[in-house]
Amino acid sequence: MAAAAVQHLAGHEAVAARYRDVDRAYGETRDLRLLGFMFFLVSDCILFSSFIFAYVYLRVSAPTWPPIVDGHQLPWFDTSFAAMNSVVLFGSGVTMHFALENWKHLNTRKFNGWLIATIVLGIGFLLGQAHEYSVVNISWQGSTMGASFFTLTGMHGFHVFIGVCYLAILGIQANRGVYTSSKYFGLTAGTLYWHFVDVIWVALFSLFYLW
Amino acid sequence: MHAGTSTTHDAHDVHDHIHPPPEGFVRKYVFSLDHKVIGFQYFFTGLLIMFIAGSFAELVRLQLTDPKGAIMSHQAYNTMFTMHGTAMVWLVLIPLVTGALGNFVMPLQIGARDVAFPWLNMASFWILPLAALILFSSLLFGGPHAGWTEYPPISLADGTAGALWCAAIFTIGISSTMTGLNFMVTIMKMRAPGMTWTRMPLFVWATFATALMNMIATVALSAAVGALFLEHVFNVPFYDAARGGSAVLYEHMFWFYSHPAVYIFIIPAFGVVSEVIPTFSRKPIFGYKMIAFSSMAIAILAFTVWAHHMFPSGLAPWLQLPFMILTYAIGIPTGIKIFSWMATLWGGRIHFTTSMLYALGFLITFTFGGITGVFLASVPVDLHAHGTYFVVGHFHYVVAGGAVMGFLAAIPYWYPKATGRMLSERLGQLGFWLFFIGLNGTFLPMHWLGLEGMPRRYASYVDFAKAVPDAVFWNQFETAFSFLMMASIGLLAFNVIWSLRHGKVAGINPWGARTLEWTISSPPPYYNFKKVPEVYGRPYDFDKPLPYRNTDNELDAFPEYGKTVMPTPQPVGAGV
Ligand SMILES: [Cu+2]
Repeated sequence: MAAAAVQHLAGHEAVAARYRDVDRAYGETRDLRLLGFMFFLVSDCILFSSFIFAYVYLRVSAPTWPPIVDGHQLPWFDTSFAAMNSVVLFGSGVTMHFALENWKHLNTRKFNGWLIATIVLGIGFLLGQAHEYSVVNISWQGSTMGASFFTLTGMHGFHVFIGVCYLAILGIQANRGVYTSSKYFGLTAGTLYWHFVDVIWVALFSLFYLW
Repeated sequence: MHAGTSTTHDAHDVHDHIHPPPEGFVRKYVFSLDHKVIGFQYFFTGLLIMFIAGSFAELVRLQLTDPKGAIMSHQAYNTMFTMHGTAMVWLVLIPLVTGALGNFVMPLQIGARDVAFPWLNMASFWILPLAALILFSSLLFGGPHAGWTEYPPISLADGTAGALWCAAIFTIGISSTMTGLNFMVTIMKMRAPGMTWTRMPLFVWATFATALMNMIATVALSAAVGALFLEHVFNVPFYDAARGGSAVLYEHMFWFYSHPAVYIFIIPAFGVVSEVIPTFSRKPIFGYKMIAFSSMAIAILAFTVWAHHMFPSGLAPWLQLPFMILTYAIGIPTGIKIFSWMATLWGGRIHFTTSMLYALGFLITFTFGGITGVFLASVPVDLHAHGTYFVVGHFHYVVAGGAVMGFLAAIPYWYPKATGRMLSERLGQLGFWLFFIGLNGTFLPMHWLGLEGMPRRYASYVDFAKAVPDAVFWNQFETAFSFLMMASIGLLAFNVIWSLRHGKVAGINPWGARTLEWTISSPPPYYNFKKVPEVYGRPYDFDKPLPYRNTDNELDAFPEYGKTVMPTPQPVGAGV
């Protein structure tokens, strides 16, 4: 029906009308995908929440915390290093925000700069995490503390890793002209995902390092 | 109303332009993106696994014909009832009621051309055979032994088979979550113009409540079995008490999912019954909003009662009380539904088709199973009955007498729409009586056997048979009747295949039903609706004209039901 209507319009008007239609259609698919993506994040959040529940349950029901293994009480985690690493991750959330804002205003060069900064900070966080794993004095198998710590931070680190790859792909796509200033669902999704990973880290940081 | 919907309608024209159907066998039938084909794929896969899992149950029943155990080792018996439960819950019931029914019916009922994410839908389906392969391959390693719940620490002794069990459940969990997400977005965003929330068919409400639970609860299960998998494979201590872990933690995480899981397969059955009863009573459904909202109430309450499965697990008394009261509370929305259906039947012109028989049978068996569930919600009763056959009887009345009966009501009801042919009513009605009698014969005696103390999950019951000599007779009785249910499912499979060729031609609307899927041809074309219809009322007002505008066939001028080919009810055994 829309196609027939377009044929009846002349020249300029026809083109304008077609773009209005396409925009509207884009708006609808964008709505679907955005809602679907939000629901994905909700279910992902519940995955983390379940493991966090397990950690809290095990910790609260343990007679001592940190647990005693082979007669020695396990050490606490190094809060100051993790705090520095957290700043790196939260900083990447800020740079990602600027990247998206610049995309909306067609500032491709600034967008690229902020996006690369985000990716670099993300990799920096992963390296910090790897350093922490190498120096921390507990093991995955040795205790419930190690089990929850390595499982949860490992899951989170995996999410950051996927996020870094995703942002890199988005950057390539954006420079190839896949997105425009009004149609950039992929970038919205990438930004949401990146902020989601930040928020999960807030919970993990407070539960492992501040509690 | 009409004017208000016109702008959205234009947008639909653009967005929902008709795609050409795919060509080639693989794109059409194997990796199809069409929700109707995917529904069929779920249906046939689910039915096939139902036969396998049903055979496991028959082996369990045969074993119990002798108190010493008639046919297999205790080890093999444990594997059989574990595999029966696991396969039936995750690979049969949930895929059948959400994957098969939800996929085929829901988009048609909301006037959509497909689900929101067809690719995701296809992926969700193909995960099912993969998960089935993983689960059944565990038999090569001796199979899991700890029952469908796989509680640690016992399940930790299952080794590789236990790890495969976890992998299978984790995999199928991904599929359920994605289906839930997909259906949520579809129902929220893709309804036909004018179809407000309170104009949705009740089956769509049921699918929405189910999708919500699927999306939220399944991930908790994935976490529970994911941690169990890590413990199996990498020896990570989550549940091992010797290293500070907690088996009760697993129970919490498992039941946070698995209580809603029971509703994931019962609520679509509620939806089916809410469609079948008004259609075959020729009356508007009584209490539309009550039924719709009680589905949501059940879905939300479902997340607050999980610990009633853990009363004997040493739950603190101050925690037992709220879980007991909340469990009682679920009886209220459920009771509202039962009374609404009965009020719909009241004074209606009732047509005893196969679907209607199953729906009426559902009312009886489900209500019975619901009432024994209220008994079990009480902590003092549960502490005594929890380890006995009373629980097995209760659970199977709810699942076989509720979810499966609802599913069996749906098959003859939507089969004409899906294939263009009617199922044989005579075979269908015979199948109903076989199933109904078989079900009651199998599971009713379990209640008194359980109250007399027959322990569940035991491969032999020599001591119990000494104390209660009747027990042997009743167990043999149950085994005999259980084969009637198998025969009924076999008859259904035969009927489904035979009627593809030989069934009566159905036409657009054989039942005189009023939801949107009955306004398009049978089977529906690839794109479902040539023109996206507009909706200006609820579908259940049988005394009024259809509340749709812009439908693409003669149904607009179809106030009476003269064109229906509703079969006249016949007693079983009467001539063709
Ligand atoms: Cu329950």
